[in-house]
Amino acid sequence: MTESINSLSENQVVLEADKLTKRYEDGVLALDALSFTIKSSEIYAMLGANGAGKTTTINLFLNFIEPTSGEARVMGIVTHKEPLLAKEKLAFVSENVMLYQNFTAIQNLDYFAKLGGKKNYTRDDYRDVLLRVGLQEEAHNKRLKGFSKGMRQKCGIAIAILKDAPAILLDEPTSGLDPKAGYEFIQLLDNLRSEGKSILMSTHDIFRAREISDTVGIMNQGKLVMQAGRDELTDKDLEQLYMKYMAGHMEAAA
Amino acid sequence: MLKLIIFKELREIIGSAKFVATFGVCSILIIMAFYTGIKNYHTGIQEYNDSKTAQLQQFETVTEWGYVTSNKVFLSPEPLACLVMGVSNDIGRTATVDGGSLPFIDESTYSEQSVFAVFRFLDLEFVFQIIFSLFAILFAFDAVNGEKERGTLRLSFANSVPRANYIIGKLTGSFLALVVPLLIPVLIGMAMLPLMEISMTNSEWARLVIFIVSSLLYLGVFLTLSVFMSCLTKRSSSSFLFLLVIWVFSVLIIPRASVLIAGNSVEVPSLNSILFQQNQMEEKNSLEYSKRSNEFFQKLMLERAKNGNNSQETADSYMAKIRNFHEKLRVEYDQKVEAFVGRLYEERHNKQIAQQRLAFNISRLSPASLFTLVSSTLCGTSIDLKNQFYENAASYSKSLAEFIKDKTGYTIGTLPMSLFNQNSQVQKKPPEPIDTGEIPEFMYQSPELSTVLNAALPDIAILVLFNLIFFCCSFLAFLRYDLR
Repeated sequence: MTESINSLSENQVVLEADKLTKRYEDGVLALDALSFTIKSSEIYAMLGANGAGKTTTINLFLNFIEPTSGEARVMGIVTHKEPLLAKEKLAFVSENVMLYQNFTAIQNLDYFAKLGGKKNYTRDDYRDVLLRVGLQEEAHNKRLKGFSKGMRQKCGIAIAILKDAPAILLDEPTSGLDPKAGYEFIQLLDNLRSEGKSILMSTHDIFRAREISDTVGIMNQGKLVMQAGRDELTDKDLEQLYMKYMAGHMEAAA
Repeated sequence: MLKLIIFKELREIIGSAKFVATFGVCSILIIMAFYTGIKNYHTGIQEYNDSKTAQLQQFETVTEWGYVTSNKVFLSPEPLACLVMGVSNDIGRTATVDGGSLPFIDESTYSEQSVFAVFRFLDLEFVFQIIFSLFAILFAFDAVNGEKERGTLRLSFANSVPRANYIIGKLTGSFLALVVPLLIPVLIGMAMLPLMEISMTNSEWARLVIFIVSSLLYLGVFLTLSVFMSCLTKRSSSSFLFLLVIWVFSVLIIPRASVLIAGNSVEVPSLNSILFQQNQMEEKNSLEYSKRSNEFFQKLMLERAKNGNNSQETADSYMAKIRNFHEKLRVEYDQKVEAFVGRLYEERHNKQIAQQRLAFNISRLSPASLFTLVSSTLCGTSIDLKNQFYENAASYSKSLAEFIKDKTGYTIGTLPMSLFNQNSQVQKKPPEPIDTGEIPEFMYQSPELSTVLNAALPDIAILVLFNLIFFCCSFLAFLRYDLR
């Protein structure tokens, strides 16, 4: 059973990476002793270029891959040791939410909610959550075939909300969204934070990361090269830092 | 959890436009196969009855039973044989029996109506073999890798879903999603049988049901294979391509290749070559016969000259000796030829059986061939049909011979010519025509249910085995599948 958010104490560590390392079979070191903690009611943004190790980190939390060394923990549960138990406490929104194209938005919500162990939701619950994420009512009973990326993304976040897990993993959730949809999404994350959720978000979007995150980590070639709290950064600082590390990455690559 | 995944799979497949279109076409084909099968059966029955009546009519004016010796018997159409034709149209359906020599089976239906050999009827076995396999591939080629491509696999496994449950649910759901709708036209077709006045025995119903269960097993093979391939390949387009190649091999290449390989591995002597060897043997025997006759005659002449007795009595005794010698020699050579030809035929038969066995064993690598073997065995249209018809005709020939003996007092082959030459007899009153109703009727006895089942069970078991193997392979491949 998913532990209720209300039972989480303030500042309790929900997501934790402890010297998390992943070396693939082809020898590529995707993640090198990554460590961070995310507490309840906290949003952590991982910034970095493609191949920096952001998605690998999320995959390790979801146990899609096993770490070479170190541990990823969700509320103290080591994900590769007790994956099913850990996943009960995780919700996930991918970069490009596709869902089942022949199902309506509500049918998709119903399936994934039940898959996440929530069997008592009614149609009204689904309607409410879809309205909450900003999906207009006339779209609720339409098949996902005709949905835009923004609409599908809203369904994805609705599924994550329905799961009511203490931790949410977001893999580049705002990529491809128009400015309005991006803004609405940020508002939604803010609401979820205020409900006590811990959010780990991988993104390329420096400004949104700065706008919403409590902590920003910059990753480069599998390493966490910088980590700073929101109060420590101005927009300008973050952009400069990011460009600096990316330039370093480019030089290293050259 | 399992139920949820099964229902999701059912809903996803049945709700797709692809399914609606394919299901519509399949339903039409299945119902059409039943309809044409039933129509063919009625036509076959009509032709069968007409042939029997015509056969009896030719004896209506006959006044002597001796004329009934040359009779024709017909292979009656059977309902299941009309649904699964097998070899029934490729073998002759008429045999000539004369109560003495071996029955002679006439040419096949296709030799008379060759257009049907070019454009064969669409029977149920063909529809199931082609449609069910393609149907399974079309809906399961992207069962796993397609979900990965669409991103739903990652989303599903972001929840606490055991992999075993997921793959079992997926396989079960896909199977039910394809089987349940396909059973609808099949049941409609089955209902058409009594509605269109086809009477079937309990044994025939049982065989039909087992045939349908076998077709579902056949569908299961391609379904589990498709899921397995979708676990092995990263892209759904790759798994589709591989499955298409496997389908072509299974349905088109292996069955034909098996016959070619068996034909090259086990050479069966032709009937002409046996006839040629028989002629050679007879020629050789004839020379030997002449030589031995001459030797004997010369020996006898020398003996007679030595004795110097030329009385009539002695001449008769010598003639009797010559007759006896010739008779013994003729019997000896006849037996030799008979034994030699018998051996050749037996050898040919054994080689045919070996060739057939080899071809079938190789073809069993293909689920499509297995299904063909199972369905034709269950519906009584396998390669054994010709032998069964032949044996039935031979057995009828014996009973006809006994009947003629009862009526005339003579065995066939020893009937005196007077029996056929009515004018040579002094007619006291005009002879009465024979009662054709008394002629024993030929009834083709299809094999018993237990016999058919025993013959089909090994192939059904292999179909089950294929299902289990591909199921386990899918299961194991998915446990190691990269979900990213």
